[in-house]
Amino acid sequence: MSLTKKRGRGMAAAWYGIARTAAMDQAGAWAEIDDGGTAKIVTGVTEIGEGILTVLAQVAAEELGVKPENVMIGENDTSRSPEAAHAGATRQTYMIGNAVALACRQAKNKLFAQIAKEWNVDIQTLKAHDGEIWSEGTNYRIPMSEAIKICKKKYGVVPVGGENYTSHHTGLHPEDGSGKPWQAYVFGGQVAEVEVDTATGEVQLLGIWACHDVGRAINPKGVEGQVEGGVVQAVGQALMENFELDNGKTSSGNLAKYILPTSLDVPKVKTKIVEDPDPLSPLGAKGIGEPAMVPTAPAIMNAIYDAVGVRIKSLPATPEKILSALREKQRKSLNKSLN
Amino acid sequence: MSEIKLNLSINGKNIKRSTKSHYRLLDFLREDLDLTGTKEGCGAGECGTCSVFVNGKLIKSCLMPVAKVNGSKIETVESLGTPDKMSEVQKAFCLTGASQCGFCIPGMVMAATSTLRNNPKSSLEEIKEEMGGNICRCTGYQKIFEAVEIARDVINKKQNKNVFDKYYKPENSFIGANVKRIDAPSKVTGNLKYAADMKMQNMLHMQVLRSDRPHAKIKKIDLSKALKLKGVVTAVTSDDVPGIDNFGVFVEDQPVLAKNKVRYVGEAIVAVAAESVEIAKEALSKIKIIYEDLPCLFKSEEALKNKILIHEDYKTNVVKHIPIRKGNIDEGFAKADVIIEDDFSTQPVDHAYLEPMAGISYVDQDGVLTIVSPSQNITHHRHMMAKIMNLPIHKVRFIMSPVGGGFGGKEDMIYQGMLALLAMKTRLPIKYVMSREEDIVSTAKRHPTKTHYKMGLLNNGKITAVEIKTLSDGGAYGCSTEGVMRKAAILGAGPYHIENLKMDTIGVYTNNTPSGAFRSFGALQTEFATESMMDLASEKLNLDPFEIRRVNAFKKGDLTHTKQKLNSASINNVLDELEKLCKWDKGSSNHRGEERKDLNSSDNRESCTLGARLETNRSRVSK
Ligand code: FES
Ligand code: FES
Repeated sequence: MSLTKKRGRGMAAAWYGIARTAAMDQAGAWAEIDDGGTAKIVTGVTEIGEGILTVLAQVAAEELGVKPENVMIGENDTSRSPEAAHAGATRQTYMIGNAVALACRQAKNKLFAQIAKEWNVDIQTLKAHDGEIWSEGTNYRIPMSEAIKICKKKYGVVPVGGENYTSHHTGLHPEDGSGKPWQAYVFGGQVAEVEVDTATGEVQLLGIWACHDVGRAINPKGVEGQVEGGVVQAVGQALMENFELDNGKTSSGNLAKYILPTSLDVPKVKTKIVEDPDPLSPLGAKGIGEPAMVPTAPAIMNAIYDAVGVRIKSLPATPEKILSALREKQRKSLNKSLN
Repeated sequence: MSEIKLNLSINGKNIKRSTKSHYRLLDFLREDLDLTGTKEGCGAGECGTCSVFVNGKLIKSCLMPVAKVNGSKIETVESLGTPDKMSEVQKAFCLTGASQCGFCIPGMVMAATSTLRNNPKSSLEEIKEEMGGNICRCTGYQKIFEAVEIARDVINKKQNKNVFDKYYKPENSFIGANVKRIDAPSKVTGNLKYAADMKMQNMLHMQVLRSDRPHAKIKKIDLSKALKLKGVVTAVTSDDVPGIDNFGVFVEDQPVLAKNKVRYVGEAIVAVAAESVEIAKEALSKIKIIYEDLPCLFKSEEALKNKILIHEDYKTNVVKHIPIRKGNIDEGFAKADVIIEDDFSTQPVDHAYLEPMAGISYVDQDGVLTIVSPSQNITHHRHMMAKIMNLPIHKVRFIMSPVGGGFGGKEDMIYQGMLALLAMKTRLPIKYVMSREEDIVSTAKRHPTKTHYKMGLLNNGKITAVEIKTLSDGGAYGCSTEGVMRKAAILGAGPYHIENLKMDTIGVYTNNTPSGAFRSFGALQTEFATESMMDLASEKLNLDPFEIRRVNAFKKGDLTHTKQKLNSASINNVLDELEKLCKWDKGSSNHRGEERKDLNSSDNRESCTLGARLETNRSRVSK
């Protein structure tokens, strides 16, 4: 390693609230167990890349006993699907996940009631998973595709469900801010390791260790993806991005001038998921989208301090800022030794 | 417009046809051949979403005039595979979850394919360099690298190809299983249609004239020359809005098109509908606007003086002030052994989702105004649109198109109103796709902030009092400023039990680009200040940074800053796990980098050498 390159580590913690802030939050969903042992879920869900469709398919599969690849999720259309509100506030897994779980439970109960009749067993003994339905303690076991046929053809029942999930939040008091803005909170922390080149001021982020409570991880790989992506967005905020304005006009008006992290700027991210299930909701899952990027920038700034002893308090920590802070530090220590 | 005759091979088929001579290869593929797997993220060679092969070489089709590839052999993402017959690279992307919003993914798949074609044994570092010209805003690249390495190993028979069919699943449950993303096959093959990829019969194209002034009265808009242009169908201004003309995520203060005055550079003034994008653009150049400049406000501190008002019907420039008061800070500071005081600031940043804003509007057979767009909140957009268009709510329909990244940026309804006006006026489908430049100049950014911070602590690290004041520049319109101030205030003091707290967040109007919703919504800015203060305190009190946080961390039953009783608080657990995970070397935050024992572990990536960087810079410049 060159003599001008110094490494250091820093850490930061964070917390975040899940779903709409300081206002009631609600989401609706419809579910149907369909022919062939498949499932149809319709809800106003907005897949913006976080993988919510897959999360909902897993939730529906789990609740209905079908295979996730056999779950179809309808389009988000204000005239065709029930309201589930926006993609934001780290709310979709929590709000829509729970709404889908509840709707699926209704649909499943309808199917189970018919199958319990068919087999003449107590409904409590019925279980379904991965495309099969069975009665515990008996030899009854058939594919879901068979069960749905019996349910419809023999008993004339389409097993459907429609439900809503509410998260109870209150507004803030206008003078002292007291209130219950969320019912579920998540916590996280990250450690950053950097290499700062004291000759150029350039910072390379080499590693991030991220630990986040997500309630219950429905899809751990998806959680990791959110953490990795959040970290890298925060790398942009911490080290390079800046929408510059001069008298209201930007000088960063295209992607040549507005610099984003590329494959060469990103750290290796090691994620550890902590599960502290939410006691108030059926799934216990909370969320990760936004909280993933909260501790990154301060962890990097603290690591820069550890490495070279200059504290950057104004983001982003550009090479110019670091060089001038290093010069200032040198000047101060020189003055000190002269006095 | 002049035409050019082409004779070339595209995905193995010989194609003979003529096209517009000014077209780039990208336009020819997308517009003429409907090969929409190739995307336009920037149009300037910076993002890689438009990557294709020309005679086997990876190029950016947005920089390539179609005339130049006459006679060549072109391959696009569509040639690599289909959802039921994917290539190794595509299967590997599905396996690792390498596609999130998916907008960068066809380009990434092309770049990965090129990397492995050029060198089937590429090392991780080579993969990173080869793919350095492709930007992804969602994934952080890690799962993309993982995918390319798996594909490489399968191609080299170092790994069995049945690796693609497996995923982790706990017994008897799909919760906690790494089920492969159900939308991945459509994304890795370029099959998924985003709004810009859609076409409708008789569709018109919209272009928007935007303000080049930060604050000015609009004295006159002269459309006469523009409307005379052949191919121009109509144009709309603020006068065409039939209902209550304002929208906003929290404060509804923004008109569909500038009304009487403009408040920021990039604000929409006129929307034109024409038979082609080119004609619509030409029409914009023929519109004449007469402005009268007004004094401007660019600094949030100045805004607080209310000497210049941005919104006249609003007697102050303060959009929102959120106060939080708990205990008594004077008593808390009096008890403290040390008091630390400092200032912090954060800059505005762009969402830079790779899919620029786009949408289509039409009036359906039942007279329902329909908007298809990658909006993050069609529920709220429908409400606002019904009010703006003066329609009953069931006569407004929003359909979500696949979102090519949002991060909060696609919550604002900044172009759907114009699409609606033109669709209602012409009764024809209207399409709008922003250029990257237009997107950057007109859409909201993350709130820039200035924070003054004072923290009192005991020698054992326990915080006795905190006082925080954060001033945020909300820009010209309210957007999400109110909500951002709220979240910044509620969460800002961090996951710590603080008995005495005074926190104020204030968001103001200025003539800068509006600030809006952005992933982590204000909490990023205020928690940055808090976590920097904790590090300062760690150094001052000679306490390990984990330790000082543990001393203060919330416990079950504690009251939060808004005096809510916590029914669970996992922060201590998180800190323990994190410390273990990174094998932290204990000690206070006093610049001990040199002597740390936890550095240089194999968990890090390799540090880049200067030469490698220069290589990429050079290739960026020479493209
Ligand atoms: S669209 Fe060609 S590089 Fe971005
Ligand atoms: S998945 Fe790469 S930009 Fe969204």
